[in-house]
Amino acid sequence: MLGLLRALGVRFLDWLGALGRATLLWASAMLGLPRWQDVRLVVTQIYYVGVLSVVIIALSAFSIGAVLALQFYTQLARFGAEDAVGIGLALVLLRELGPVVTGLLFAGRAGSALTAEIGLMKTTEQLSSMEMMGVDPLKRIIAPRIWAGLISVPILTAVFNTVAIWGGFVVGVNWLGADPGGFWSGMQEGVEIYQDLVKGMIKSCVFALLVTWVAVFQGYDAPPTAEGMSLATTRTVVISSVLILATDFILTLVFYGDF
Amino acid sequence: MSAPVSDPFIEIRQLTFRRGDRVIFDGIDMDIPRGCITAIMGPSGTGKTTLLRIIGGQLKPDAGSVCVDGKDICRMDRAELFGFRRNLGMMFQSSALFTDLSVFENVAFPIRVHTDLSEELIRDLVLMKLNAVGLRGARDLRPSELSGGMARRVALARAIALDPDLIMYDEPFTGQDPIAMGVLVGLIKALNGALGTTSLLVSHDIHETVSIADQIVIIADGKVIGEGTPEQLRAVPSARVRQFMHGEADGPVPFHYPADDFAYDVLGELT
Repeated sequence: MLGLLRALGVRFLDWLGALGRATLLWASAMLGLPRWQDVRLVVTQIYYVGVLSVVIIALSAFSIGAVLALQFYTQLARFGAEDAVGIGLALVLLRELGPVVTGLLFAGRAGSALTAEIGLMKTTEQLSSMEMMGVDPLKRIIAPRIWAGLISVPILTAVFNTVAIWGGFVVGVNWLGADPGGFWSGMQEGVEIYQDLVKGMIKSCVFALLVTWVAVFQGYDAPPTAEGMSLATTRTVVISSVLILATDFILTLVFYGDF
Repeated sequence: MSAPVSDPFIEIRQLTFRRGDRVIFDGIDMDIPRGCITAIMGPSGTGKTTLLRIIGGQLKPDAGSVCVDGKDICRMDRAELFGFRRNLGMMFQSSALFTDLSVFENVAFPIRVHTDLSEELIRDLVLMKLNAVGLRGARDLRPSELSGGMARRVALARAIALDPDLIMYDEPFTGQDPIAMGVLVGLIKALNGALGTTSLLVSHDIHETVSIADQIVIIADGKVIGEGTPEQLRAVPSARVRQFMHGEADGPVPFHYPADDFAYDVLGELT
């Protein structure tokens, strides 16, 4: 029993230490940024983490939009409410699925790549050599990647929502035969800018912060071994995913909970 | 032992450094003379690379002081340290080239970051540095296209890109073929003479190191066990220094890692 308590205590202290290191890393990297000379580095990283993620985001969005429309239509048609497919689709995507699925996909594609890249730079002493040249790797390597994530994820979320609604339109209207006027007008009337669009975007910004933070920290903190790298990339995806889902629940409760 | 250095570039006093319970340096004193090549030698795991990282400010000692050109790097804050390192070149054991940049861009990196020179001037400077290491023609190659020896030479060109006052070499000869090793030995000697820098060299390769070092410091068990010119060290009566300088397998520094009796280990209770 005492051994179990001790082990739990050690794990808790390890976790607390890691949280402290991660906070220091984030604060040191982001303090005083963005600097003008780093804009080019940020743009380059936006290409790697954002632009290169567009295809997987768009493909997933189209599929999810199509599936949602199919399910909505099938159920709503029983009550003759096929026109509500548009509003149902828009609310589910803007409030929940858009930010959450984009965050999860971003963690899987770009987050793991960030961790692997930074971890390998550490393993091959590239970060050390940068430090020895008088260049702070936190400013030069970590900060541009965090900024790129913070900028890319909300844009990717917007892309996801747009493509998913298009996918829903293709299935719901073009294929299953829902009325296009009802599809769009329902959406126009039911969606509120602040309540749905802005709050969804706030969620995506929070998820961007969490994923990039976890990804760069796991890479920077990874032991410089093959096993360490493997564990770090796995941890990035697992921790980011759990954090996104848990935070989404809390944010939904705060934004839409009726207390 | 050698006489105290009159104008040391690096002064290390009572340096103590621990990793967990293990004492790496136990209050060592050391002077690195200005403008000379000083080699740090010693058995594996004695903390030679750790010493370079302490001098570069990447590791903080538990006690003692490390003064480089009169400034105590242990008392510098992060911003001061980064300023100090602009005048420092380091060639890593793994070369540590930036894999996403070409050879040219690797050498240009410190110049671009620390100066506002025009693109034409940067180009000329980089080509001069690459020419000095014989790799001007490899400027467009990626690090993955270089052999180990070529990568070390690019790392050397990058280390001297800003003509630093101090260049540190971490195991520059490890894993090099005889030709590449000869080239590196010649380059380090020539660059030290041409640039007038202070060079600090960590190496296991006795013959190559002795051929270029002005002074050698031998570290073992957290202490400096020998210090002086190669000739002085060869004449030192200490068995430990002699074992190291002559590359003898066994002696005061044991060949075997501590273990139980071999016969008992193999035959068990039959013995």
